This record gives sequence, C-alpha cells and structure tokens, in this order.
Amino acid sequence: MTTETHFPRADWPRLLCALRAGEVRAAAERCARELSVRDLALPQSGLALLKLRDGALAEDYFLGEMPLARARVAVTTVDGRRAEGAAQILDDRASLARSIAILDAVLAGGFPGCETVEPLLEQGAHVLERVAAGRRALLAATHVDFSLLARTDDEEDDDA
Amino acid sequence: MGYVAIKGGGRAIEGSHAAVEALRAAEGEAGTPLSLSTIENQLRLLTSRVLSEGGLYHPRLAALAIKQFQGDTLEAAFALRAYRSTKPRLLETPVQDTSRMRLIRRISSAFKGIPGGQLLGPTYDYALRLMRLDLADESSEAFRAVARRFMQGVPDTALPDSFPKVVDALRAEGLLPPLAPRTQEAFDITREPLVFPVPRSAALATMARAETGSLLAIAYSNMRGYGDVHPTIAELRVGYLPVMLPHPVTGEPVEAGEALITECEVVAMYEGNNSDGPPVFTLGCGACFGHNEVKAISMAILDRALQKGMRDGPRNPSEDPEFVLLHVDGVDSMGFASHYKMPHYVTFQSDMDRLRTTQSKAKASAKGVLA
Repeated sequence: MTTETHFPRADWPRLLCALRAGEVRAAAERCARELSVRDLALPQSGLALLKLRDGALAEDYFLGEMPLARARVAVTTVDGRRAEGAAQILDDRASLARSIAILDAVLAGGFPGCETVEPLLEQGAHVLERVAAGRRALLAATHVDFSLLARTDDEEDDDA
Repeated sequence: MGYVAIKGGGRAIEGSHAAVEALRAAEGEAGTPLSLSTIENQLRLLTSRVLSEGGLYHPRLAALAIKQFQGDTLEAAFALRAYRSTKPRLLETPVQDTSRMRLIRRISSAFKGIPGGQLLGPTYDYALRLMRLDLADESSEAFRAVARRFMQGVPDTALPDSFPKVVDALRAEGLLPPLAPRTQEAFDITREPLVFPVPRSAALATMARAETGSLLAIAYSNMRGYGDVHPTIAELRVGYLPVMLPHPVTGEPVEAGEALITECEVVAMYEGNNSDGPPVFTLGCGACFGHNEVKAISMAILDRALQKGMRDGPRNPSEDPEFVLLHVDGVDSMGFASHYKMPHYVTFQSDMDRLRTTQSKAKASAKGVLA
C-alpha cells in the first residue's frame, strides 16, 4: 500500500478536521467521482463517553460525553485496486466523517486524487500550527520567572 | 376539577413562549442577535460552565443553549442533557491520558519550582476587581486589535505543549500513597442509578457534571470547619485533552479531536496511623469539561472528604456520599425547586381541608374544655 503523503495516517483526520467542512466534503466528492465507494458501516453520529484516569489514585471514571461521528468505507479504483478508510471524529456530522473516511482510503491506497488531498493536509497542518502558536503564546507570556524574585531577595540582603 | 385550569392554560402557555422571546429581542431595531461564536468566545467561562454541568462537551450547542435560555445556566445545562438523551451512545473511549493535555495554564501552590515551571495562562487571579469602564463602549477596531497586539508582544520562548504532573514527582519521592491495582470498572452514572454505597468513580462522575455553586457550597463548608481537609493545590491545569481512539482499520491510536478540560489535584494532610506502610499525604482529584477552576478545586476537596467518609463513616455533611452526591446536580435540584411552580391545586385543596378539619376539632375541643 503506497502513501503519497509525508503525514502519518494517524494525523489525517485531525488535519482534515482543522479545515472547513465544505472543503473536505468537496475534496471527497471529487475523489469519489473516479472511484467506487461502498459503505462498510452506516455513517453514524452519536456520543462517546470519555474515560479518564484520576490524577490522585489512578482510578478510572467518566468525565462526560462528547459528540462522535464515524464512518467506514471501502474504495475501489477502476482497475480493481481496493483500500479501506475510516474516520471517528469528535463532531456530530456523520457526512463529514464519511468524507474523511473516503479521503483516508484514497490516501492509504495512493489512489487517483490523493495528490489533491495532500495540499489539504498541509493546509490543515498550518491551521493547527496557528492554534498551537496561540496557545504557546498564552504560556510564554505568563511564564513565572522566579529568578527575578531571587535577585530581589539578594538586593534586600545587600541593603540590610 | 384540578385539570380544568391546565386545559384552559394552553393559550397562555403559548403566549408565555412568545413573551420570553419578545424579551430576548427587546432591543428591537437597534439590537443584534448574539452569534454562537460570540457566546462561545466572549462568554467562554459561561459556556464552560454549561458544558460541564450539561455533561456534554459540545461548545457550540452549549452556546446555543445559553442564547436560547437567555443566560440561565441551569436551564442551558438541562437543554444539553435533554439533547444528549436523544443521541445514541456509539462508544466508550479508552482511558485518556491527561498528562498529554495541551496546556494553556498550569500552577502549583505546593512548589515554586515545579518541573516545566509555573504558567499562569489566562486568569483573573491577579487582577484588581475594578470595573474596566472602557469595555462599556468598546469599538470593533479596538476589540479586533486585542488578540493581534497580544501575539506581537509575546516573547519567543520554546515551550512544550504538555508537561509532567506534579503528583507524579511527589509519588516518585514516596510522599503519596502507592497506586493500587485497578479492580473496578468505571461507574456510568448516565445508565446506573446511584444506590449507596457507590464506588469512587460514581462520585467523581457525579461531581464532574455537578452544578458549580452546589459543589462550592459543600466544599466551602468543609474548608470553613465542618471537615478536616486543609488542601494544598499540587497542580491546577487547564488545557486541551487530545482524545485518542483506535483507527477502525489499522487499530493504531488516532486523535479524534480535543476537549478543553480543567483538572486539579489537591494534597491534604498525611495520615500517620496507616498500618500498611509509612505515613503519606492524602489526595483529592477534581476535573471537569471547560475552564472552571473553582469547580475543579471544590471537586478535589470533596473527593478527599468523601474518601474519608467512605472509609471511616461521615462526620460532616461534606464527608457523606449520599448527602453530597444527591444534592449537587443542577438539573435535579433546579427541577425540584421549579416543580413547585406547577399547579398543586388538588394537593393544596386537600391540605386546606385537613387544616379546616383540624381547626374545627381544636375549636370543639376548646369549647369542651371551657364547658
């Protein structure tokens, strides 16, 4: 199975979810025109129950629920090559999960159209990098520098 | 006879729906409807509160509920709960590792020099509680410039996204109880009723979606003296937890999305007569969806108090699992309080009949005594 992208498969859903849903749907529709797409499971939207391990005694508990959409498809090329794709995303749009599942299969199989998906992954990576930079800024701007406190203490000692 | 009024109230009820909508739009031509994005971003702490009390991490729907119920957090959380009850449960996630949270804030009141440092992040903790009158008449231009100016002024520091947990360092030093092997499945409060005694996982799940004020009030009772938790915050973290699910085809973990979470661990006084080993600090844990620090701290204090109550028997309300867990849910308690507004014509008629009968008997009895 060839992969035409340098992003690992585990990152594809995250990168695609960073884009506008319309762009992802349009890309999946473009790819699907050249391919046969069969649903291996009905695209669904519902909830996922989030399980955490508590930080004190390491016991498992449920924090609450989150929206989840999922889809699984098999994609076949005109020359008979086949690949499976799937998506599980924290979103309530089953149609978006199906679009991502199609693109997952297209990229995994290195099928016609994957060269048009690669720029989308790049675009998603840029969006996520902007978000990460914003979060890093929140930390960088508020990082407490205790060395200043130590310097003040020394100065007070000198004054005394 | 009690049903007549309800039948006749149909038109009035429809009118009340229209009336409440009319008040939402009372600004008339001068008004602008609130966008969900505006609520989600500019009222982010309110959205956080509704998310966690609704028990559903769906910021957009939480914002919609806030708009629909005009800022009433209890009703908004109720609407989220109602929404979730219409959706199928597709899966239970594998256990997620909160040490991978992409932090925006992280502090410890236990140590100055925690590994990775103290990162104050967005907080009002150090702000004066004075009104910023400039916000009363903020221009769009000034508003849009705020984020841009912030990003321009940030020092170029290489910081990781995630940081080690403070409790792990304490545990490595032997100051915390060793981790016991996990024997119990996590309790699902959305499927199972709370029948006491309940496992700790049921308490944590119940408090995670509890009403903030209720949790705070009971935790405060413990802090003030009706209890013995004197907590030190080992760590308070706010950040985005990547939720990892196995890829249905490859089985490898894939990030399905992320959720903003607040998590807090408190260290309380050590217990000296532990026959199983040397004395160690005791711990409490709190966590909730969204950014809600008071809730996470209150939950951590109550977790520690409930552990004591479950082990030794409750000596204060905050140590009694039944008292705490059955009284902190906002939807339950709001529902009970609100139901008193519903017609009670028949039951009250019965109360009046009984009172009149009792009064008659009392009068007759008084006459008998006088005679």
